[in-house]
Amino acid sequence: MEPLRQLAKEKLRGKKAIAVMSAKGGVGKSLVSALLALSLRGAVLVDLDVHTMATTKLFGLEGKLHEVTKKGIEPFKLGELGVVSLGGIVKDKYVVLPGGNAGEVMESLVAYANLGDANYVVFDLPPGLGDEVLTLERLTDFFPVVVTTPSAVSVKVVEYVMRYLNERGKRPLLVVNMAYMDCGDGKVARPFGDLKNAEDLAKRYNAPVVELPIDPSLESYIGKIHEYDGVVKGKVKKELVPYLT
Amino acid sequence: MHEWSVAEAVIRTVVNWANENHVTQVKKVKVGIPSFSFLDVEILKEAFDTMKSDSPLGKAELEVVFKDPTFKCRNCGLTFSLKDVRDQLESLKGEFGEEYPLHLMPALAPSFLKCPKCGSHDIVAETQDITIDGIEVEESGTAQTVG
Repeated sequence: MEPLRQLAKEKLRGKKAIAVMSAKGGVGKSLVSALLALSLRGAVLVDLDVHTMATTKLFGLEGKLHEVTKKGIEPFKLGELGVVSLGGIVKDKYVVLPGGNAGEVMESLVAYANLGDANYVVFDLPPGLGDEVLTLERLTDFFPVVVTTPSAVSVKVVEYVMRYLNERGKRPLLVVNMAYMDCGDGKVARPFGDLKNAEDLAKRYNAPVVELPIDPSLESYIGKIHEYDGVVKGKVKKELVPYLT
Repeated sequence: MHEWSVAEAVIRTVVNWANENHVTQVKKVKVGIPSFSFLDVEILKEAFDTMKSDSPLGKAELEVVFKDPTFKCRNCGLTFSLKDVRDQLESLKGEFGEEYPLHLMPALAPSFLKCPKCGSHDIVAETQDITIDGIEVEESGTAQTVG
């Protein structure tokens, strides 16, 4: 009998779980997770990247601790959005954990979070196919959003995740982040390569593709990503959200 | 306050087990908890008694057993006990207060405790989270314990 797992499963029952994942690091999973969660009505964003906790950096929550009530760990509130991160438990302490412990910590985070009446729970996963994916599979039937960049190496690495998900009977959505830059006058630059590799990958796994643009202004919203309403969020709202609602 | 979530986890787990096994009345639930989580037994029992009503646990008693874990360092091989890292735990409690990280998530222990010999965080604990160690049920007027 595993009380934590039981509670975590029940907390997620009836909610749509979305896992933002990739086999590759640095492709923008946390940013996509944040913008997606901000674009859905009634969402809680759960940062399952327990080693880096990028979500707290994006939302300016570093050093802040979650309040703990009779209902559990209370999410940080940013407007309608709730955010749960291990950063709200350990503050600015680094987290180094043997594999098995990482899974238990993730399970605890979900089990003890007060998810309230949220309709959506968006999980920001760390790169790779480690405990986080297996843990989430034990807890809920999640919808995978796989993030890559157009770069050939990124697409090749991301294929591991696509193949795994395919074998598990899931049909992911492929997000190509930093796909292009709008230069005005209808001109588009693609500094990280064209879309061909990603499109071929998506075809092989029958996955829809959403391209997200590069927006240099995003950097100035690190720490206040909830205030960003630029082109990337516009595309997330317009093209990504409809697949998930 | 975290004790309420722990009580909820225990109750939900045992209620599900009771339903699956057609058990209508549970007499006692024995729960094991790592001692370094410093859960407050009184609050835990209060939460358990408040939330157990209208379930097969309506008349159940909660027995809590605190377990002192043995740690093993995977870097230098040292086996050590809680008293060997007591100062580290006290310092952590002093820094965070009531809701200190190991109170909420005992599995975080390797992040906050170091091997007292070599300083490595690569440590494993025998007991690192809540366990349900036994359920006593009323069946045909006799008590049975399920491990």
